[in-house]
Amino acid sequence: METDSARESGEEENGFTQPEIGDDDIDNVAEDFRDGLGLLSPKEKTMEERRNGTLDSDNDSDDNSRIRTVDENGNADDSSRIEVEEGQSDSSRIEVEEGQSDSSRIEVEEGQADSNRQIAEFSSENNNFVEGHKEISEAREHLEDDFSEQEIEVEAPTSPSSSGYAGGRGSSSAASIGSASGSEEIRDALRSGDGVTECFGNGNGEHRGQASWAHGKRYSNEDETSISWRKRKKHFFVLSHSGKPIYSRYGDEHKLAGFSATLQAIVSFVENGGDHIKLVRAGNHQIIFLVKGPIYLVCISCTEEPFQALKGQLELLYDQMLLILTKSIDKCFEKNSKFDMTPLLGGTDVVFSSLIHAFSWNPATYLHAYTCLPLRHSTRQAAGAILQDVADSGVLFAILMCRHKVISLFGAQKAILHPDDMLLLSNFVLSSESFRTSESFSPICLPQFNPMAFLYAYVQYLGVDTYLMLLTTDSDSFFHLKECRIRIENVLVKSNVLSEVQRSMLDGCLRVEDLPGDPTLPSDSLSFRLRRDKNLQVAGSSTGTGRNTGIGGPAGLWHFMYRSNYLDQYVASEFSPPINSRNAQKRLFRAYQKLHTSMHDKDVGPHKMQYRKDENYVLLCWITQEFELYAAFDPLAEKSSAITVCNRVCQWLRDVESEIFLLEASPLSW
Amino acid sequence: MGCSASSAGKSSGLVRGSTLENSGMSDSKNLRIKLVLLGDSGVGKSCIVLRFVRGQFDPSSKVTVGASFLSQTIALQDSTTVKFEIWDTAGQERYASLAPLYYRGASAAVIVYDITCMETFHKAQFWVKELQKHGNPNIVMALVGNKADLEESRSVGHDVAQAYADANGMFLIETSAKTADNINQLFEEIAKRLPRTTPLQT
Repeated sequence: METDSARESGEEENGFTQPEIGDDDIDNVAEDFRDGLGLLSPKEKTMEERRNGTLDSDNDSDDNSRIRTVDENGNADDSSRIEVEEGQSDSSRIEVEEGQSDSSRIEVEEGQADSNRQIAEFSSENNNFVEGHKEISEAREHLEDDFSEQEIEVEAPTSPSSSGYAGGRGSSSAASIGSASGSEEIRDALRSGDGVTECFGNGNGEHRGQASWAHGKRYSNEDETSISWRKRKKHFFVLSHSGKPIYSRYGDEHKLAGFSATLQAIVSFVENGGDHIKLVRAGNHQIIFLVKGPIYLVCISCTEEPFQALKGQLELLYDQMLLILTKSIDKCFEKNSKFDMTPLLGGTDVVFSSLIHAFSWNPATYLHAYTCLPLRHSTRQAAGAILQDVADSGVLFAILMCRHKVISLFGAQKAILHPDDMLLLSNFVLSSESFRTSESFSPICLPQFNPMAFLYAYVQYLGVDTYLMLLTTDSDSFFHLKECRIRIENVLVKSNVLSEVQRSMLDGCLRVEDLPGDPTLPSDSLSFRLRRDKNLQVAGSSTGTGRNTGIGGPAGLWHFMYRSNYLDQYVASEFSPPINSRNAQKRLFRAYQKLHTSMHDKDVGPHKMQYRKDENYVLLCWITQEFELYAAFDPLAEKSSAITVCNRVCQWLRDVESEIFLLEASPLSW
Repeated sequence: MGCSASSAGKSSGLVRGSTLENSGMSDSKNLRIKLVLLGDSGVGKSCIVLRFVRGQFDPSSKVTVGASFLSQTIALQDSTTVKFEIWDTAGQERYASLAPLYYRGASAAVIVYDITCMETFHKAQFWVKELQKHGNPNIVMALVGNKADLEESRSVGHDVAQAYADANGMFLIETSAKTADNINQLFEEIAKRLPRTTPLQT
């Protein structure tokens, strides 16, 4: 792994000792901020610093100085060894030299023409925030001059594929469907005057099994002048094109109006140059911009996650917002560019903070696949049959889930449910406590299905963690859905599905220790659970040869993750020692994420296989048409045996696929 | 029914019947009526309903999403029963436009404000106007000042609210979901005011 990241991990360990702080706070706690950055008084901050959000002055951490320690272990075939450049591939860059902060790089998207470099120099003298705007415009002039002199080829408006702007995926095809209802509703919502944004306290995090994770907005007393706010490792901001704050992960949006205006100025500054801003690097901070029509999303992160991954997170954040409001929110901005969106999102902080939390533990956020609760094939079939039954009776989607895992789902004919929509929908339901209290009927939008229109979701919990979602286009069908739910619940109780679900939750998923020994033996028809019992017996009676019981699977296998490309589903093994601390899990999560990004890098990839070794793991990734396999091994694992084990994992998963995947219904887009 | 009644049973003269699933019919003895709760976010609509239906009070506020559906049957002294099918709507602004979905065909509306917050009283007036314009013309409307236990921070005077309620043909009641004060009386009073002769649509 990269040396920087190793350092970061060490610090995470420190941060993690504070028990009341969850997930990314690991990131947020006291990274040593260099250069007394956090100690500057607000007035001393230069505009540039604000603009970069991070304020590194001297530590010019050159990207290329990050090391990829891809060990070329052994001298096996070259095809299985790929070195991956972590830094951004060279698209054109604008380097902005600033008085005190060196070498912040702004990467701008440019159609197909790359490798134009542009350097604009301008000095930063003014420290005052208000005067900062002047500077921006000065800077803009500088840049514009330079642009005109050197003929930078900017993105042509006719190449929509390369633009993040107005890039509502699928919106064009779906825009016609039911756009009227959605837009009207938003418009009506507008008429009804100002609402009060509801404040709510911290409830109990319902992601049991996850580390402590508070509900709702945290640290809402912070603002851009707070040292604690500046030290957070990963910020998310949503703002309107007029610079009005819409959402901030930390701090009160209204107090961040000035900061939002600055972000808006940066975006419009580059846009006035006929270009689109994607990324600014400043020291070890990345500032990622995503423009979605009148809505700007910004992530400021020093977590070293790849740009593509962070951009994907911003996309999901935007889609989560659409799930709540639909894309017809754009019309509000057309009518009034100074439109304030925050009242419309009242009470939804918890949905966004839960999603952002998922960015650090849920592989679905970058695999774009969902995962199933392991169940006996017959059990899942029983659940599927009754869901199909109701889906035939006018329900658009019937989805039965347990936490974030699917038990079964069914869609009406030709209705396609995208894994991202499932992720966002289940996040919405899981993070909103009120669904647990009573049956609910609520408008939601599935952005990949149709970003313009609301669907209506009937949601009812059938157990502590098991919930049923019935989606329809008909706003009057509550009582029909209620009847459907009663029928479904009766069948599930009678066929013991709900108790099987409870058992499966307790048993957990696949474990690397249970990987069957010899692949040449004919695989028996035992389920992996039974096989696990058998294996445990074997391990107990003999000193398992070649099996490191308790410290992972064979050949030092610690963990794996498998995505079926046909099913858009993934399965991940349970975390085994030594990946048992929350911190180690998160580190592995990030390592996979980086691996995933590098495998799918469009500029140098896509790759078929990657073998990567560092002081933490041996990571192996293997992508075929059929699947993607990610596996983590002991750093001392041998390459040849690791590859053998990966083959065995694939064989194993094929043997138990009917238990770990939902095979019957394939309502997804393949 | 998803929501079975755990009898809070302090109400005088009320016998709680078990909720009847799909009893389906309203006759003169057994009324089945649709009731909607409206009001600004955070005034305690869900708390009122949960106190009435389950006898519970949960001080941790949970923001309602869309609308929740609960039902509760009460038996009156004249041996009639009234089954309330309650739509507890979300107070957030984005759901305001969806309110007609929930109040359409409702026989009763409970409009809730927080006696400690004048703004919520204004919002209540908005809902009263909305119902007068678009609601069922015979709708029984109750104006409810919740959080009556917070008398010391009251900012909506009882007489002000009473005058408004009188002017708009509603009845006013101040409740506390926290202490259960007047919660059952609220629904009792609605039951009494329901027209008995005409069949009620749901």
